[in-house]
Amino acid sequence: MNLPRLLRMPALVRWGVRIDTAPDALWLALLAAALWPTWWWMGRRLADGSDDPLGLLALAALAVLAWRSRHRLRAAPRLGWLLAALGCVLLATAGQGLLPPLALALASLLGLAAGLAAFLPPGTPRAPVTGLAVLSLPLLASLQFYAGYPLRVLTAEASRWLLGLVFRVEREGATLWVEGRRVIVDAPCSGVQMVWFGYFTACVAALLLARGDRAFLTRLPAVGALVLAGNVLRNTLLVAAEGAGRPLPGWAHEVAGLAVLAAVCAGVGWVMSRPEATRRPA
Amino acid sequence: MPSPAPCSAGLARWLWAAAAGLAATAVIALGTAAPAHAQDAAAPRATESPYFLVPGADPSLDALPLKSTRVEVHIAGVIADVTVTQHYRNEGTRAIEARYLFPGSTRAAVHGLNVRLADRLITADIREKRQARQEYAAARQEGKTAALLEQQLPNVFQMNVANILPGDEVKVELRYTELLVPEAGRYQFVFPTVVGPRYNSPQSSQARTAWVAQPTLREGQASPAAFDLQLHIASPLAIQGVESPSHRIGVELEGERQAHVALQGEPGRPAGNRDFILHYRLAGEGIASGVLLYQGPQENFFLAMVQPPRQVDARAIPPRDYVFVVDISGSMHGFPLDTAKAVLRELIGGLRPSDTFNVLLFSGSNRFLSPQPVPATRANLEQAIRTIEQMGGGGSTELIPALKRVYAQPKAADVSRTVVVVTDGYVTVEREAFELVRRHLSQANVFAFGIGSSVNRHLIEGLARAGQGEPFVITQASQARDQATRFRRMIESPVLTSVTARFEGLEAYDVEPPQLPDVLAERPVVVFGKWRGNPGGQLVVEGRAADGPYRQVVPIATVAGAGGAPQEGGDTRALRHLWARHRIAALSDQEALEGGDGQRERITALGLQYRLLTQYTSFLAVDRVVHHPRPQDGASVDQPQPLPEGVGERALGEAPVLATAVEVPGTPEPAAWGATAVALSMLAMLVRRQRRRNAARYTD
Repeated sequence: MNLPRLLRMPALVRWGVRIDTAPDALWLALLAAALWPTWWWMGRRLADGSDDPLGLLALAALAVLAWRSRHRLRAAPRLGWLLAALGCVLLATAGQGLLPPLALALASLLGLAAGLAAFLPPGTPRAPVTGLAVLSLPLLASLQFYAGYPLRVLTAEASRWLLGLVFRVEREGATLWVEGRRVIVDAPCSGVQMVWFGYFTACVAALLLARGDRAFLTRLPAVGALVLAGNVLRNTLLVAAEGAGRPLPGWAHEVAGLAVLAAVCAGVGWVMSRPEATRRPA
Repeated sequence: MPSPAPCSAGLARWLWAAAAGLAATAVIALGTAAPAHAQDAAAPRATESPYFLVPGADPSLDALPLKSTRVEVHIAGVIADVTVTQHYRNEGTRAIEARYLFPGSTRAAVHGLNVRLADRLITADIREKRQARQEYAAARQEGKTAALLEQQLPNVFQMNVANILPGDEVKVELRYTELLVPEAGRYQFVFPTVVGPRYNSPQSSQARTAWVAQPTLREGQASPAAFDLQLHIASPLAIQGVESPSHRIGVELEGERQAHVALQGEPGRPAGNRDFILHYRLAGEGIASGVLLYQGPQENFFLAMVQPPRQVDARAIPPRDYVFVVDISGSMHGFPLDTAKAVLRELIGGLRPSDTFNVLLFSGSNRFLSPQPVPATRANLEQAIRTIEQMGGGGSTELIPALKRVYAQPKAADVSRTVVVVTDGYVTVEREAFELVRRHLSQANVFAFGIGSSVNRHLIEGLARAGQGEPFVITQASQARDQATRFRRMIESPVLTSVTARFEGLEAYDVEPPQLPDVLAERPVVVFGKWRGNPGGQLVVEGRAADGPYRQVVPIATVAGAGGAPQEGGDTRALRHLWARHRIAALSDQEALEGGDGQRERITALGLQYRLLTQYTSFLAVDRVVHHPRPQDGASVDQPQPLPEGVGERALGEAPVLATAVEVPGTPEPAAWGATAVALSMLAMLVRRQRRRNAARYTD
């Protein structure tokens, strides 16, 4: 049966028109529905307390972005992004039971991000959208497991170097001996949470300021450096208090941590708000 | 893009509303959900571990309330009756609860606890463990003096004494009995004096067990509590060679059959930091089968012991039959199977021509090298070794069918059979295997060789225990010869095979163990049980010895009455406790094999019925008088332990913690909800700044 004959079937034509004129939100909703096993797994992982629910914040940011762009979405989605979304969804579906759940969730979220990117209005950067999709993953515990110890050692060593200006300090692994007092830079001190908030702030700021993908990506190393420096500063302040024999109460730890985090987020905002260098014409 | 139809627009609105709702829900959930951490900052950061005592932390507290421990031991025949008196005195100015962890013999049947407070004597009752804890806590809150004795491990006990007022003297007296089973003709009595500092693995089931966190004195610091031990031996046979390898003792012999032993001081060497060990021998070379009876108000008990001679003449060894059950499954491929072959070469090579043997190779299926056992001639040995040499590992591990096939093999009555299982133990049929071995204990002893770098010791040790044999674990090929030699020495000379013990004229029941193994040279057989009817009759022990059928009749002439008048073997009142202790040990073994607490009810019932301290029952003594009107002002004090002799401070780790539950400070990040609020605030400020800039740009 060839196309002209098909076009002579009114019912089929009406269906075709309906499909073509279906709202973008419906497509995105269908895309999200196709990925239900991932949402189910993520929900269970959050419910059983095996990870922080910070990913929800990134998902909420994506939802807000879609909501704010709802009147400016593209009538004709970008085919490249649609194909990328299709590929990711196929991978996430075919990989069920074969790939680790975290990898499947990554493919699913990248698929959703690519689907959203296909409809987003021109001028909206895609890299931060992809970044938010990655940050939506329940990956803090895994990050803590794999990157926690190196971060702790790095933080402890940098703190040792700074504290050495005032105190007698030694480091054993991720433990600091300050004037004979032992302070451990353990898992909750690794700065993994600060890493997450640093990159989350970077992604959201890039979207708010409509920074280009290239500008966003080239500023990510500066974000990493700010986060590391912030965690070293936070750790150094708190260890110094212990070393001076005046350990701070719990609320003071919170206040110091939040103040440093605020400074880091402000720094990240500042980095992202720097004007982009204009390219010289060749 | 054409404008959507009205219905589509409505649908779109709903979808957007749903998306917005999801976003709002996400933010709310983030604020309310309890964040998880890879490491819970609120939980204690360390497993419970021993720590060094920091003296003088509070001058009003007497940190060393235990002033002395006195031990009195009466050994009558094979039964030791031990009384341990702990003397507590509060020399501080605040009321205290004294907690003291102390060791005990794994064979002890702890059956009594008394507390003396001034002129009052409080006799403890046995309680279910949790109930005892609750009642003790209530008594402590009410200001009553109370003592709680708990079993932490089969050989670790804890005494808690609440509301000892300044100037109070409290004497706590606990009593236990234990059976002394001779090894190689030598009797050994052991009294442990100190619980060594335990390394507590975070993976251990005891990781959060409070008793492990006990204060320890520094190296070279002796326990401030005095320790004294007096021991009296009364035996039906002449006592010889009384000596202690651990302490300096004074021995006074009263005739040939009684001895009195007392500790003697050693300058610079405290007595209470190592096990007290006493050895002695009794005269006599023959198999002395004896029976003790106790007639109680409700139940009667007996103890029979088949005692082999101290040394067996090699000519007295009856023919032996060995069945080697060798695992050739896939997991044995390589080093384990090569080592198994080396072990077999050693074992088979050591057989005598009068012995017989067979080899069962098993994996998914099994096959005997020969349809029936063959004489251990050189030709047969060579043939067997050649066949085994050609074997390679492969297939699954069907242990149970292999064992069943071994037990189905006929055995001549005058032959002592030994089954030697050689495996890495990678199976999940432990319970069934133990049960099978136990059921056929009268047919064969079972020895188990575990070979491999990560042997299933649970199976190997359990098989040996069930088969009244010994476990051998070989983790390196170089150990094969030594272990094979050790095995040969152990089973060199079975004295009696096909052993039975029966009563004539006396109805026996609840016998432990249900079936008797062969009597090996180094190992007497002990049988406990109950009896009904009139005392009297005789015990008949039968079996096959090297020189033909063996039969010994022991007349039961005298029986202790309810008063437990001593017989030749000792004060027989202890038989109640010893039988119950033996039954509880068997149930505990079964529970350990099964995992969990499946035997809790039975063990608890036995503990309560026979007034015994178990893992599920505790002793509790509570004074009726409210002794301390303000119990909330009291403090708990853990009596410190000295380091065991020869153990250095490194036993507590490189950086010993100096106080209980002192947390090492850390620098945790702020809570997730606070961090979220901060990040969102910063972003809101960024948005505001951006809007102002844009507004400024338009007005310029």
